Amino acid sequence: MRARGLLWIALATLRADRRGSLLDAAAACVGAAALVFFLALGLGVSAAAQRMFPADARLVEVVPGNVRLGGVLGGGALDDAALRRLGALPGAAAAWPRLSLRVPVAANGPPKGLDYNWPPGMTLQIPVVGLAPEILAGDVGAGFRFEDPGPGGTIPVVLSRRLLEIYDKTLAPAWGVRRLPPILSIVGIELPVRIGFSIVPQKTEDRIVEARLRLAGISDRVPIYMLAMPLETVRRLHREYAKADQGYSQVTLLAARPEDVPSLTAAVRRMGLAVDEGERATAERVGTVVAVTTGSLVFLAVVMCALAALAIAQSLSASVRARVKEIAVLQALGAAPSDVRLVVLAEGAIVGLAGGIVGVLLARGAAPLADRAAAALLPDFPFRPETFFVHPPWLVALGLAVPALAAVLGALAPAAAAARVDPARTLS
Amino acid sequence: MIRLHGVTKSFRDAGVEVPVLRGVDLEVAAGEMVAIVGPSGSGKSTLLYVAGALDRDFSGEAVVAGVALAGLSAEARADLRNRAVGFVFQSFNLLPGLSALENVMLPGMLRRGAREAAAAIRARATAALDEVGLLDKAAQPPARLSGGERQRVAIARALFARPKVLLADEPTGHLDAVTGEGIIRLFADLAAAGLTVLVVTHEERVSRAASRVLHLSGGRLSS
Repeated sequence: MRARGLLWIALATLRADRRGSLLDAAAACVGAAALVFFLALGLGVSAAAQRMFPADARLVEVVPGNVRLGGVLGGGALDDAALRRLGALPGAAAAWPRLSLRVPVAANGPPKGLDYNWPPGMTLQIPVVGLAPEILAGDVGAGFRFEDPGPGGTIPVVLSRRLLEIYDKTLAPAWGVRRLPPILSIVGIELPVRIGFSIVPQKTEDRIVEARLRLAGISDRVPIYMLAMPLETVRRLHREYAKADQGYSQVTLLAARPEDVPSLTAAVRRMGLAVDEGERATAERVGTVVAVTTGSLVFLAVVMCALAALAIAQSLSASVRARVKEIAVLQALGAAPSDVRLVVLAEGAIVGLAGGIVGVLLARGAAPLADRAAAALLPDFPFRPETFFVHPPWLVALGLAVPALAAVLGALAPAAAAARVDPARTLS
Repeated sequence: MIRLHGVTKSFRDAGVEVPVLRGVDLEVAAGEMVAIVGPSGSGKSTLLYVAGALDRDFSGEAVVAGVALAGLSAEARADLRNRAVGFVFQSFNLLPGLSALENVMLPGMLRRGAREAAAAIRARATAALDEVGLLDKAAQPPARLSGGERQRVAIARALFARPKVLLADEPTGHLDAVTGEGIIRLFADLAAAGLTVLVVTHEERVSRAASRVLHLSGGRLSS
């Protein structure tokens, strides 16, 4: 009963000073709203940036070394021996080779059913990379197999999700053609191509073969401006077109744990190989920019919460001074100094919590308005999200806890002052 | 019910120790109404607050409702005040932000270790207001009550916890003659019903109603 009783007294006290209580709650509300709004914005932008620059923390992209010393120091080329050694490095869970197709592939017509997406007369030269099926595990559509179909078979291919996004938001508007239908519905479409044909006449092979490519999936692990075929298909085409083995163009190393990446990178470099950190570095740079911006805004919000705490501290201090006699009466009726302290702290907590609730609601309400404004004012660009805000459940809890905590901190000094009231002297 | 022995208390004023109570001895039995009279500043209120466990800064022995005050923690003294002592003040000291009923409910809300529901406390407070004839004013804030009504609300609040001791500090000081007489009669009735009543006053009419009148002067109590 006593806790409820003290809460009852705190509520009654706040009710008695509605104006002051509302002003304090408004201060806490502004802090909470800013905190939730900016954090949700930061999380939303961060999620969009991750879609734009997907970087798997466990992947190390190995490329041939710039300086090749052949077998003297055991490094330089990315051949099968290097692949085996890479896969055996401590901390490496897998090593997946990538092999660029050195036979030209071109399409001079659209996939069936997507004629409106193809500018008239266009021939599209398609850069192709061969990938091990394991690297695309999970990205290949149900019912599709990412393996070499053999000569004359329809070749399964996988596209970069980012390429589709860039096509939709940049290329299609520039070419004046329609955008693609949603991603899942284009999986399974077939594109007629000519293997051995190049738009650069000198590069065209003596033998040109008509073939069909079937889109088997969409993946972030496919290089953005390339089309992925099964590694075995690329090897077969190299054999058919008598292309000499030049080793792999790249090997993707999968670290057992993200913390193994630095030691793996160092080991790779000791082998005379290089690590392509372009994608990772870009992702890290973008992530850093987003984190710093979000951090600054959150810091601003925390400062606002701190200012709210100061406002509440000042207001409660004035309130305690004004009702010192009431506090003495409460003590005469059976309140201990600790009870008085709790009542004032509860007043702060209630004000902070009430401000937090309204602040969270305001921030949640402002997010769709900001999205609507962004949709109206910002041009469409690749990876532009439907919403710039992400509201995980913990953010709501944080939006309530921070202003409540700030208010309680602000109430500490007034609560201590209230607990020091000498009832006998005050009532005399 | 109240036993003070050799109670001494002094204030510090500008670095100088000013004695207020000098070895006061006082015994008030259950069912007795004792009036303490004396000039302003003689320490009447101080004596009352010592007896009410509000003032801990004194020397001597004090036993209230069977509980020795020496060495009691702040919480224990608060609990004693809540359960066994009722205070009535000259200026009523009702909380202005609460209604009359809520003011009466306060001791119930501050009770430690009780499991009485708020609804039950409200019901008892309503009954207490009814006893002092103010049921129709239950929802009114103190500002809308007359002086006599405020003092009756204060008395209902003091009696809410069914205390063993009622301490009143100039309870009729702000009341007109008729209203004051009513309050004095009520105190006398309460004492007759077994309550220990200690009233600090400088009014003759209050003294007349008391079973004993003691004079406090120069920090000493005399008959």
